[in-house]
Amino acid sequence: MEDSAIFNVQEQWLRPLRCELNVLSRPDGSAMITQGSYFILCCYVNTFLYSYRVHIFFFKGNTAVVAAVYGPVDVKPQRILVDKASIETVYKPKSGLPNVADRMRETIIKNTCETALLSAIHPRTAVCIVLQEMQDSGGLLSCCINAACMALMDSGIAMKFLVAAVSCMISEDDIILDPSDKDLMGSKASLTFVFDSAKKNLVASHTSGVFSQEQYHESLLKCRQASCEIFEFYRSLVKKYIICI
Amino acid sequence: MDAQYKVIDPVKFYRDHLAHKIRPDGRGLLKFRPAVINVDSIGTADGSAIVKIGNTTVVCGVKLELGVPKPEESNIGWLVPNVTLPPLCSPRFHPGPPSDEAQVASNMLAEILSNASVLDLRALCVVPERLAWAVYLDAVCLNHDGSILDACVVAAVAALRTVRLPRVEHDADKDITKVFPDERSSLPITGAPIPTTHAIFEDEVILVDPTSDEESLASGLVTITVQNDQMCSVYKPGGSPLADENMQACLSRARTRAIQMNNLIEAALAARDKEETKDQKLIS
Repeated sequence: MEDSAIFNVQEQWLRPLRCELNVLSRPDGSAMITQGSYFILCCYVNTFLYSYRVHIFFFKGNTAVVAAVYGPVDVKPQRILVDKASIETVYKPKSGLPNVADRMRETIIKNTCETALLSAIHPRTAVCIVLQEMQDSGGLLSCCINAACMALMDSGIAMKFLVAAVSCMISEDDIILDPSDKDLMGSKASLTFVFDSAKKNLVASHTSGVFSQEQYHESLLKCRQASCEIFEFYRSLVKKYIICI
Repeated sequence: MDAQYKVIDPVKFYRDHLAHKIRPDGRGLLKFRPAVINVDSIGTADGSAIVKIGNTTVVCGVKLELGVPKPEESNIGWLVPNVTLPPLCSPRFHPGPPSDEAQVASNMLAEILSNASVLDLRALCVVPERLAWAVYLDAVCLNHDGSILDACVVAAVAALRTVRLPRVEHDADKDITKVFPDERSSLPITGAPIPTTHAIFEDEVILVDPTSDEESLASGLVTITVQNDQMCSVYKPGGSPLADENMQACLSRARTRAIQMNNLIEAALAARDKEETKDQKLIS
């Protein structure tokens, strides 16, 4: 069995999340998020004086996204808004040109970030969010939103709250959190939720497949619980980077 | 006075109205606009419907074409939905390539139809690997006054219900295809997904079936699609955070609305059948 399955089925929890801030030098803020299963190979390297223990991480079935933020920057005259900053989102797929489904993903990310940002303090400017898909092994939308949120935080732009996206799937009778693309093959429905860090209310929701109102509510509660883990992850990340600075 | 007030400070205009639990068009906060459905409105299309929800008008036409199925999916046909938002329908749209809003609406329509499995694509296959029907579903908005997705999906479902598929014979050895336009049968359409759009005004007031003015002032939109008392899409693209009890209320409201809309589609189809039998009697 894949270790992702062990994480999901037995622990009912999220796949390990990894994030690196400030990965790109030119944008105002950037982040790379990988979400996926891995196994660790532990080996010892003996040199003349010391013996090192080296952990080698093998990533299998990762979802990886790089996000970059420019802002507040100049805005095109036709997109100018007099009372707030206009948010532009560009989503680049791994290969080929963006299609209609990518356009929709862009819209969800854009509206979610717009809610999180205090756009009213930067009128007549633009905040440009660029997302590059590196690999998709399930939960791409949630990974994109988390990466966008981390890049915004890294850029230091004023925000009302942070957001965390969690995806889950409904199989025959139970709910599995953060499914990989292999898990999704046997799913009845897959749902993605975005929560805010202030009151943990629902900011965005996107679903596919058929489910009942009770199942929706149950998944929502489960994902909200899991979102706390992501917020905790954000917190530990900030702590780590403060030490670096 | 009212008109100037609305232009000068539209947010305050709405806030004052909503404080009295009434909307500028005279509706209560949770009241829907009247809906009208007309089916088989376009004689030259293979199936069609016009849906009006308040001022929002969507015309949907279905075109049938024969094609060779893809080798990897040799036993299914195609259902190709498309939503067009021309400059005719609102000053927000300009001539040229489809706007983001039109692309998102097209994608939502496609997602809803496939989630709800409205049409079994295997039924569109005539001869596996050789011949299958492509069903082009074109929804054109004539007047954009909010809740465009609600009108598009209802129009698409009603139009699909009116499609009459001609009988086709295919001789694989000689590669000859013969179509019998006079011998037609209905498409196997199962269920009708019904979306209901809600707008969130200033983070707390929820309005159902918003007009275009309300949509532009709203701080968030939620579209819930219900089929046979099951959800087939809960779409909230960002916007103000919504508490659980409000979300549950929206879901329940969408379920009630779906029953009403379904009855309306059935009534429209029944009215059309009645017309047809009357016409046949007149001819004979």
